[in-house]
Amino acid sequence: MSGMARAQTQAPAAERPLLILAGIWVVLIAAPFWMPLVGGYTSLASRILVIGLAAMSLNFLIGFTGVVSFGHAAYFGLGVYGAGMILRYIAPSTPLAVIAGILLGGIVGSAVGALICRRRGIYFALVTIAFQEVFYYIAYKWDSVTGGFDGLRGFQRQPIHFGLFTLDIQKNDLAFYYFVLAVFAIVVGFMGFVLRSPFGRTLLAVRENERRARFLGIPVDRHIWLAFTISSFCIGAAGALYALLNNFADPSSLYTDLSGELVIMCVLGGMRSFWGPLLGAAVFEVLQDYISSQTVNWLFFIGLIFVLVVMFFPRGLLGVFRRRSAA
Amino acid sequence: MVQGKPSGRLGRRGVLKAGAALGAIGAAQISSPFIVKALGEQPFKIGFVDPLTGSLSLLAVSEVQGAHYAVDEINKKGGIAGREVQLFVEDSANDVGTGVEKIRELIDKDHVDVTMGDVNSAIAYAISQVATEKGILHIVPGGHTDPITGKDCAWNVFRICNTTSMDANAISEILIKKFGKRWYFITPDYAYGHTLQAAFVKNLMKAGGTYEAELLPIANSDFSASLIRAKAYKPNVLLNNMGGLAQIDCMKQFVQFGMDKDMALGGALFEIESVLAVPPTAQAGWWDMEWWWDQPGVPYVKEFVTGIVDRYKKPCSARHWFGYVGIYSFKLAVEKAKSTKAIDLAHTLEGMELPPEIALQPGKVFYRAGDHELMPNIFAGEVHPPAANEPYNLFTVADLVPGDQAQPLAETGCHMTYPS
Repeated sequence: MSGMARAQTQAPAAERPLLILAGIWVVLIAAPFWMPLVGGYTSLASRILVIGLAAMSLNFLIGFTGVVSFGHAAYFGLGVYGAGMILRYIAPSTPLAVIAGILLGGIVGSAVGALICRRRGIYFALVTIAFQEVFYYIAYKWDSVTGGFDGLRGFQRQPIHFGLFTLDIQKNDLAFYYFVLAVFAIVVGFMGFVLRSPFGRTLLAVRENERRARFLGIPVDRHIWLAFTISSFCIGAAGALYALLNNFADPSSLYTDLSGELVIMCVLGGMRSFWGPLLGAAVFEVLQDYISSQTVNWLFFIGLIFVLVVMFFPRGLLGVFRRRSAA
Repeated sequence: MVQGKPSGRLGRRGVLKAGAALGAIGAAQISSPFIVKALGEQPFKIGFVDPLTGSLSLLAVSEVQGAHYAVDEINKKGGIAGREVQLFVEDSANDVGTGVEKIRELIDKDHVDVTMGDVNSAIAYAISQVATEKGILHIVPGGHTDPITGKDCAWNVFRICNTTSMDANAISEILIKKFGKRWYFITPDYAYGHTLQAAFVKNLMKAGGTYEAELLPIANSDFSASLIRAKAYKPNVLLNNMGGLAQIDCMKQFVQFGMDKDMALGGALFEIESVLAVPPTAQAGWWDMEWWWDQPGVPYVKEFVTGIVDRYKKPCSARHWFGYVGIYSFKLAVEKAKSTKAIDLAHTLEGMELPPEIALQPGKVFYRAGDHELMPNIFAGEVHPPAANEPYNLFTVADLVPGDQAQPLAETGCHMTYPS
């Protein structure tokens, strides 16, 4: 984030992004303590982090490369199943499960990206949906391995052994939250690092004017493929964490609905901002958590909020703050 | 650098107001731990996850109504062990992932004492596992798939509705005797459908029959291709194993295709909510009801049925009874065990017989100790269009099959173990 903001900020205010960044991390680290005061709970905080990471991973592609994927739940879901199947069938090891989720989501995303990186606009988006449907039906129909519609049960996240001490993320929700936060920090740090690098700047150039980038000699297709691959690895990590969060994997984690929701979160929070999708995910999850407890028509209200945001805040919630601070 | 002076938008009054609000919140946060409430002042919280939206919503709404009805009755009589009962209902939206999230929310945020749910077998299966992980007593009112109280049975999970094997066993012989041994299945592709069809096929094979089957998505709405294939197979009976709105759609299309003249209809469940939603020509076939409202001479049934019909202006269904029994089971267990610990409640419920005002049917109705499955009667009979001036008189009971007889414990595959 800081890279993006820093580039747009004048020298006298150079320390502001660092302060904002520090503020964000303080809020995240202290979340389990302040969330109960406002009606939240620790596992909701974990869910927001996981879904927020998924939305930020998607935004790496949509917001910073300018390529819209409507099928990114596929790589999230593969991350979920990758982690779940390791715990269920191979070994009761949380780190192995996370690595497997990242690899499954990332490698498959990389292969799909190689096939579709020459497509643009609506065609690119449609092909991403088509691939997502393929993976959804594999999960839905391969009953003996994935559990089909009923989902994959019978696994649990395992405590992590560090030699001298053991982190019990199985029974202790607080410990699990900090485990999720640690993985979140690594993945988000990686994305931030990439975006600040010359490669990241090139992605922005592709987003802003693809033709000009091509004329400058930038291999645009290869850059889009790499961005798709990085995004898939990162969303695979989110998927693996989601499997650990629920101790459960089911086909809805790679269904169109989730892809749509992730795009909504990006738009809601602000696609041009690094942290916007996390804010979008937080607003979406908290609203869903609250409204669905109040009325059975909760999906109507979620849809209504999305329509209002698109109509009145097209740059997302962080876009509004940024415009105000600029004014 | 952040400026030291306050921005123009936040004036002195704003600061004072914000300070007062923060102070009030802070005071509330600080003061609350010093108030120690007596146990009787704390409500007994029941969490209920059911698919209030989606293709099974008709059934779920009835279950939740039955639960609310029981909660109001219990609270009028002083609650559970003197504690007011609070029912927290969450919508699983007929989606397994959402159901799992919702039960975690009920346990982690609302701190419920016990949990119930779900109509959807796959969700019931998954949320039972969460309840076991959290060590909470859980009752499945209406998710039928066998492993919940079969091979995956758990010390903290009890179930009110029948297993799919119980339902299939109760009606299979009737279907074979009345219509023949050539069957066509239309079955939902998830836990409930798989186990139900397997149980029917087992019985059919024993009798030397033949069949063809089609597995369709749980919320399928277009059955034209499947029905054309069924017509070509020329079965004696079409077993419509779909549930809720999918079953209704299938029945409507069955009649539109004129297939009611070619083959009989039947299966495990054709619940009153669904029967009322199809045209009279599709109100037919031989089915099970897991509880039936018209039981002349059986004590307390009439009062319960009148109460539900008057309050909700709809027929009293098996689903109302499931919700009602679920809530009362918690009350009976807590008051007998004099504890709210899951392990104590589970031991108390094992083998517990429901009193007649809760059982609402003849015979002994009890939670079987070996698998935690409630053993009621299965009402096998014929569905027909309503009698004159009796809009809910849609079913004639031909046989009452005791649950224990429909599926003996040895056939369930359950090996119950308790935490050490």
